[in-house]
Amino acid sequence: MSEYQLLLQRYDPEHDNEPRQQRFTVQGEHTTSVLDALLYVQQQLDPTLGLRWSCRMAICGSCGIMVNGIPKLGCKTFLRDYHAEILIEPLAHFAVEKDLIVDMTQFLAHLSAVKPYLINDYSGTQPHKQTPAQLAKYQQFSNCINCGLCYSACPQFGLNPEFLGPAAITLAQRYNLDSRDNGKAARMPQLNAKNGAWGCTFVGFCSDVCPKQLDPAAAVNQAKVESAKDFIISMFKP
Amino acid sequence: MSSPKRSDEPIWWALFSAGGVCFAVFLPGLILALGLLWPLGLLNSAWLQHDKILTLLQSGYGVTGLAFAAAVICLPLFHAAHRIHHGLHDLKFGFSQASKLLCYGLALLLSLLALVLVVAV
Repeated sequence: MSEYQLLLQRYDPEHDNEPRQQRFTVQGEHTTSVLDALLYVQQQLDPTLGLRWSCRMAICGSCGIMVNGIPKLGCKTFLRDYHAEILIEPLAHFAVEKDLIVDMTQFLAHLSAVKPYLINDYSGTQPHKQTPAQLAKYQQFSNCINCGLCYSACPQFGLNPEFLGPAAITLAQRYNLDSRDNGKAARMPQLNAKNGAWGCTFVGFCSDVCPKQLDPAAAVNQAKVESAKDFIISMFKP
Repeated sequence: MSSPKRSDEPIWWALFSAGGVCFAVFLPGLILALGLLWPLGLLNSAWLQHDKILTLLQSGYGVTGLAFAAAVICLPLFHAAHRIHHGLHDLKFGFSQASKLLCYGLALLLSLLALVLVVAV
């Protein structure tokens, strides 16, 4: 067992005028995650601590926080990788509701703006057929768990919250690359816009922080190529 | 929901990409040849006589000279302009349209000047 100091950013809109920091001492062993430590604080030291979490196994995407300034999933980040003091803040670039809980409304609106579902006029009862090669084209991008870490990592989303952002553009690419989908024409106007794929300046930090390693920066830059092709084709259309 | 307006960014991004390739491929060679090897006297200076260069640049009805200027001056200028324009956005400069006009306008002006000089000589 080792001792760690957690420096938590606290904010309760009913009592605080601005965020403040509070220090907690926790014990951790080799398998103690940051989420475990936060739950220990909430259950043993201060029940007023607000945080979101659910699965504890990096699949629900709800425990996103900033650990020493880097966006991380609390459940996939371990105390053993840090020394002594760990600064924990809510996800950057989002409005804070309370303590470590942020308002994801805008993020979810961006996701739904790209029509993230299969669009086709197939109405039969037989399953769609897809070859392994067709699956491989989009499979990597389909692993997104909508945790929002890439939005906290993205300086362009930080400067302009109307930028569609890495996850939404990746999701658009995921469906555009799917052989079962015919909805590309409906998604391109969003990607073609100033706040679509062109809001990205290829910083690439989104891919560094992605807990599922699905490389959103690659998806966004594929979307730029698609948008550039769409631009050229549009010049020849009446 | 109405469709958002199409961005003109593909034009600037294409010039930026082409300029990036030229920056990476042609300029290091040019800097090595004209910036280092020539001053150090390691190049056969007979190759760099004015009339020889002129004949080379005017070969193919002058297209060689224009292509050379485009690859080492014009496209890299647009690459640099794109970086500066987006850098100013990152620094929260604001005035997006003004910075766009200034950056790409300057790149266009200097590019035209380079091409005109190639044609004129």
